[in-house]
Amino acid sequence: MSYENYVIAAYCVFAVVLLWDFIAPRLQLRQQLRAARLRSARANRNTSNEFPLSRN
Amino acid sequence: MNSLVRWFHQLGSPPYFERFAARWAPVAYLVGLLVMAYGLYGALFVVPADYQQGDSFRILYIHVPSAWMSMAVFALMALYAAIALIWRIKLCEILAMACAPAGAAFTLITLATGSIWGKPMWGTWWDWDPRLTTELILLFLYLGVIGLYNAIDDRRNAARAAGLLAIVGVALLPVIHYSVTWWNSLHQGQTIRLFGQSHMDPSMLPPLWAMVIGTHIWFIGSLLARARADNLRRESGKDWVARLAEPRA
Repeated sequence: MSYENYVIAAYCVFAVVLLWDFIAPRLQLRQQLRAARLRSARANRNTSNEFPLSRN
Repeated sequence: MNSLVRWFHQLGSPPYFERFAARWAPVAYLVGLLVMAYGLYGALFVVPADYQQGDSFRILYIHVPSAWMSMAVFALMALYAAIALIWRIKLCEILAMACAPAGAAFTLITLATGSIWGKPMWGTWWDWDPRLTTELILLFLYLGVIGLYNAIDDRRNAARAAGLLAIVGVALLPVIHYSVTWWNSLHQGQTIRLFGQSHMDPSMLPPLWAMVIGTHIWFIGSLLARARADNLRRESGKDWVARLAEPRA
């Protein structure tokens, strides 16, 4: 194949950028779900400790 | 109510969109990947080498679809932004902003692969040619939209400001398209036409059309996945997001 290195380099750029395009939203999604999970856990903790010094 | 209109209204509901995007984004990615795999196989192993450019012309099979996508995605982003500004549809704000990173990715591929092709064919990696320069400005516009959206804390105000930039920036698209006609350009003129006769041998076209269709379908997957993440970010305080995040037993 003529200009083999150039062809390989171009296709590698294509593959790497599309791979990033695939991975980046998945990471964002995972981050949002994790944040929601932590927020939910914090809210549950706060409701259970609402009156920590109460005698009732 | 017409079922299509009802579906359109339902799609505006964040939980409904979450379910829709979660279902269809992986399908679009997979179908896009398969169509592109077919196109790439044809481009690399089936199509004969060009009599003048040799095998370097195979770069065209990723360069041209990416270049078309870079402009089409910007037009779509401006359209969504205009709808969001006029009718205040939150989902359109989300979709407009989800277009930007995917469009920037395709613009980057266009510039990088064009540069790699330019070295053996033109003898230089870069030239301040009208087509190349306007495409570079398009990349900066995409980065500007992404930057502006992330620079403002309030999501809705951020989307409006960035959307306005996208609408103004759409004026660049005809300049990119006609740059090879309006000015003396090192970049070649229009070789492939969507309608009308292409100046390319018909045996070389099927993988190109496969790549064009494949990149479009891939983009739909990317758009849905990014919009899904932004939708969850905006709805982070809502109960349905908390329920979604709960670990499944």
